This record gives sequence, structure tokens and C-alpha cells, in this order.
Amino acid sequence: MSKENILVIDDEKNIRNNLTKCLTDYEVETAVNGEEGLKKFREKEYDLVLLDMKLPGIGGIDVLAEIKEVDPGAIVIMITGYGSVETAVKTMKLGAVDYLSKPFTCDEILEVVESVVKRKQAEMSEDELSTYDEFVDYAKNCIVDRQFSKALKYLQKAVSLDTSNPEAFNLMGILLEMENDVLEAQKKYRAALSLDPTYKPAQENLDRTTQRDYSKEGMNFGGKQNKKD
Amino acid sequence: MYVVIIGCGRAGSSLANLLSQQGSDVVVIDKEPEALQELAPEYSGFKVKGDATEIEVLKEAKLDKADVVVITTDNDNVNAMIAQIAKNLYAIPQVLVRVIDPAKEIIYNDLDVYSISTTNLLVDKFSRQIKNN
Repeated sequence: MSKENILVIDDEKNIRNNLTKCLTDYEVETAVNGEEGLKKFREKEYDLVLLDMKLPGIGGIDVLAEIKEVDPGAIVIMITGYGSVETAVKTMKLGAVDYLSKPFTCDEILEVVESVVKRKQAEMSEDELSTYDEFVDYAKNCIVDRQFSKALKYLQKAVSLDTSNPEAFNLMGILLEMENDVLEAQKKYRAALSLDPTYKPAQENLDRTTQRDYSKEGMNFGGKQNKKD
Repeated sequence: MYVVIIGCGRAGSSLANLLSQQGSDVVVIDKEPEALQELAPEYSGFKVKGDATEIEVLKEAKLDKADVVVITTDNDNVNAMIAQIAKNLYAIPQVLVRVIDPAKEIIYNDLDVYSISTTNLLVDKFSRQIKNN
């Protein structure tokens, strides 16, 4: 398997050195500012971009938006300084998958990069999905990546494979909630419960959506793998 | 190994360069931006600009995660204060301190830190050298 390409965009030399040194198992290229980073990004395909929030010239957030415009599927991890963690969380809404807060250790970088690369590889194998569980797991990954319509497609396929399992209906309910269609969502939760009255996640979601102070807080995704957020 | 070095003078910066070259995760703190420029171009650790007697600055350097803290500022009082914070507040396994005035080495007697007085070291070496001749 070929090495993953990683583009590091950071104006501080020591941090570029640091990332290049730690990510020896990957093909790393660096850019010293947003302009150079965007130029490189347009010229070549990268598996992953590590992007500093604070850059001279075009700021990190604008670079992120630009990258997402060029390639909506681009995987970007933000690098943040102390005190800007909250802003970093906001960037995740703009499509960054994760963030690293400075100063970080080599092990921390590798952990984040490896988990992202693994997720990407799982996506590559979408053509090989065949069982109910595989479709459901894949749909969960899509939800985490906020690709809701894709998730729905795979959940429907899962349902066609096994009509007696409540998990896919529960997740469909969550997707409908994301689209603010609470009534339809409740129907899905009820469908899940009619398949298996003991299926707790659906019961909890139904209870949550029917309470007076409705909130999306605390959605239960069911299964071992809970939502990573 | 996560090492935080406080004070980026001649001693602090060369130790930082050496450790980062050897593969440690290094963070250097100094309140003078010029001092941080002493670091080698190949230096691959982090720089934090700020006064290390302020707890916010120590948090910014993630002192709580440190395996080793090296304190090499040119002020004994500052060194002693940070050594106490590192040891008593953060329970850092290994704390190393530079002592400027040998008379002040006594501060560290009751504290589980490794202290070195460069003056004593030099006097010791020189006197031995003189005896050998």
C-alpha cells in the first residue's frame, strides 16, 4: 500500500519540523502559509491536511473553507493554540474532522492521524459491504462524518437485508431528527420498538423526543459504538 | 518523553536543541521573544512566550503532562518558586533546577528536586585541576 500524503500548513518552522519528524511513516509536504497551502492543495491530491488556525495572511478558518470548496471530501485536522480550543470546535462544524491542541506529543499526533486514516480506509471499502452489521456500522461512520443522506441510503440497504433488527430504524430516526422532522423520527423509533420492545436506545430516544423540553442532547445511537463527538 | 524547559538562555536553549534532536517532545518557555530565537533552526519542539511564574503560562505549556521539568532562568527566586509549583502542585516526577547563588542552594534541601549550582561545579573542577598539577 502506498503511503498517505499529508499536507502540513503552519507558519512556525519548529512545528513543521515537529510534524515532519513524527509522521515519518507518511509522505509529508509542508507549506508556510495559507496561500502556499492552497496552491499545493489545488495541484495535488492529499489524503490529509494538518492546518494551523493562526496563519499570517489568510487565516486558518478561511483556508479550511477554501479547501472544502475545492474538495468537499478533504480531510482536515486543525492545529490550535492554547485558548482557542473553542474556536477549534467551531471549525469542526465547518468540516474539520478533529483538532490537535499545541503543544502536542508525537504519540498524540500519530493517534489522531491513524484514526483518521483508518476511518478513510473504512470508507474506501464501502463497495465490499455485504451484511446488515457492516451496512449499519458504515452508516454510523457516515453520521459521524455528517454525511446524512449517504447514511440514510446505507441504512435503507441494511433494512432490506434484515427487517427484524431495530438498530437501523433507530438510526433512521436520528437522521430524521437531524433534519428537524421530529414526528417522522418518532415513527421510526416506534417502528424499532415494535420490532423489539426491549430495545433501549429507541425507547430512550422516543422518551427524549416526547418530553416537554425537547432537546437533541443525548441521542442514543445504540450498539457498542457510541457517537464520538 | 515530555520535557518542559523554563528559561531559554544559553543553557536552556542548548539543552532544548539537544533533547529535541534526540527525539523528546520539548516545550520551551521564556518571557522574552528574542530568547526563543536562540533555538536552532532544526528545533522541532514548541515555544511558549510568557512568564512561567503565571499559572496560565504553565497550563499553556501543559506542564501537568510533563515527565521532566528543567528550570534554568537567571533568577533564583523564580527558579525556586517554579520548582515548588512543579513538584508540589503538579507532582512532576523529575524536576531539575539551576542554582545561581550557591548560598541559595539550601532552598532545595527539603524539596525533592535535582539542583545544580554552576558556580560550585566550576569551583570544584578548578580546585581539582589545581591540585592535580
